[in-house]
Amino acid sequence: MTERPNSPTGALRTRRRVSWLDLALGAAGLGSLLLLWWAGSRTTTFVPQISEVVAGLPEFLTDEETWPDVLATVRRVFGALAIAMVAGFLAAYVMHRGGLWGRVMERYVSIMLGIPSTIAALLALFIFKRSEIGVYFVVSIITFPFVALTLLQGLRAADKRLDEMGEAYRLPTSAHARHIAAPHLIPYTFAALRNEYAHAWKVVVLAELFAVNTGMGARFARAFDRFLLVDAMHWLIVFMVILLGTEFLLLLPTERRVLRWRGSGKEAAT
Amino acid sequence: MSTERVSAPGGGHGYIRVENLRVSYDGVTPALTDLHMEVEKGEFVAVLGPSGCGKSTLLHVMSGVMRPQAGRIEIGGRAIDGSAGADAPPIGYVFQDHRLLPWRTVAQNIAIVLRAAGVPKEEIRRRTDRYLEMLHIDAFRDMWPMRLSGGQRQRASIARALALQPAVVLMDEPFSTLDEVTARLMRQQLAELWQASEQTIVFVTHSIREALFLADRIYILTKGPARVFDVVDVPIDRPRRYEDPKLTELEGEIVDRVMDVWGLGGAV
Repeated sequence: MTERPNSPTGALRTRRRVSWLDLALGAAGLGSLLLLWWAGSRTTTFVPQISEVVAGLPEFLTDEETWPDVLATVRRVFGALAIAMVAGFLAAYVMHRGGLWGRVMERYVSIMLGIPSTIAALLALFIFKRSEIGVYFVVSIITFPFVALTLLQGLRAADKRLDEMGEAYRLPTSAHARHIAAPHLIPYTFAALRNEYAHAWKVVVLAELFAVNTGMGARFARAFDRFLLVDAMHWLIVFMVILLGTEFLLLLPTERRVLRWRGSGKEAAT
Repeated sequence: MSTERVSAPGGGHGYIRVENLRVSYDGVTPALTDLHMEVEKGEFVAVLGPSGCGKSTLLHVMSGVMRPQAGRIEIGGRAIDGSAGADAPPIGYVFQDHRLLPWRTVAQNIAIVLRAAGVPKEEIRRRTDRYLEMLHIDAFRDMWPMRLSGGQRQRASIARALALQPAVVLMDEPFSTLDEVTARLMRQQLAELWQASEQTIVFVTHSIREALFLADRIYILTKGPARVFDVVDVPIDRPRRYEDPKLTELEGEIVDRVMDVWGLGGAV
């Protein structure tokens, strides 16, 4: 009988199996990376030993000079990404509307897609000299076109049938935006946010390397200049922990929570 | 027993009045032409026509979602002119597909349309509970539509339309995507609900038997561009049974009548 809802048990069991598999694969990936590191430290002079890096980590993490730079980079990533998301949405909306401005915006976005991060960083150095604004400029300009294209895809995939339903039931514009348009765009917004969040971290390090004396990128450069390879590895570890930590502990759970309506199983919306 | 033809409408004072309706998607090729129709308050009317004849288009125009090229539609004395403004009469619409918002729970889907219609907060809760119970889906009120079966989703869609307590409920082949047993259960339930609620329903279908089972009167349309070919009274007492031999007999009569008009004459 088709009247019965899907049984939740099968779906949950499958999900638990997948979860264990994920853990096993993750552990295998991390293990192979450590193995490579170990092999690199044995065969080269420029890769420090794992034990040496781990031993110096507590001192590095408790050093009062470490965290202001970490926070400066975090602030730049979040700020620039917020600018890119807003600008990306506006650009996507203009492109979706079409017409002359839509076509103009399409060209801008296409050109920006092709700008390498290094060129953008050098350009920012010329325009803004060595200033904070330059970092925001570089990260925003590099991530914005990807955001715009992902959100444009979302706007183009809008479900006309739901629009029609809203019209038939006389939903006012505010209710349409809140209950139809915005929820439809949320999966696309999360896709853009998650992709460009990782992208922004990579770009910010490069921008800090060129444009400012603070932040993790500048500290990376300083460590390499002085051939402090253990320090460089410490910065790399902090970088990866923050990037992956926020991805798996903040973005992914939030996305799952917000998009729980499309998952499998019989979760009630409580 | 035979179906009873009634006089062509146009001069009466029906609750829903459709006059000289002409609709075209491209402005050139008509989807509906010179269509007249009248529905009395509390009446269950079926609109019967072959696939693609313009039945759904008729409901679109009646709901105010689409503007006609010519003609006039009135519901309860108020013109439906396609602008679908806030003061337009409330209309419940059950689509062929459920069209529930997948990111809102069943109860939220109902509450959203009630709120838009200006129903007070405490009344929203009361009506939601009542109609979910009437449609036997109160156990699923806090579930996402994607978790429900096709029949349950369509029940939720009907609950949404009825809870609005609208001037008229438009139904566009709502059971055509369901399996036969579920569809029969739903038809039975809809007939009972209609008798209890006394709401005016315009039900579009291409199934002659479904129209005969549900409706007081049937408007039979021609092939597209649709116009009214015939209007038939259904002389069967309620409650009706889907397997009733009288339905089979009437079905045969209507099939004979529409054979040529629907373009089946040469095929048999």
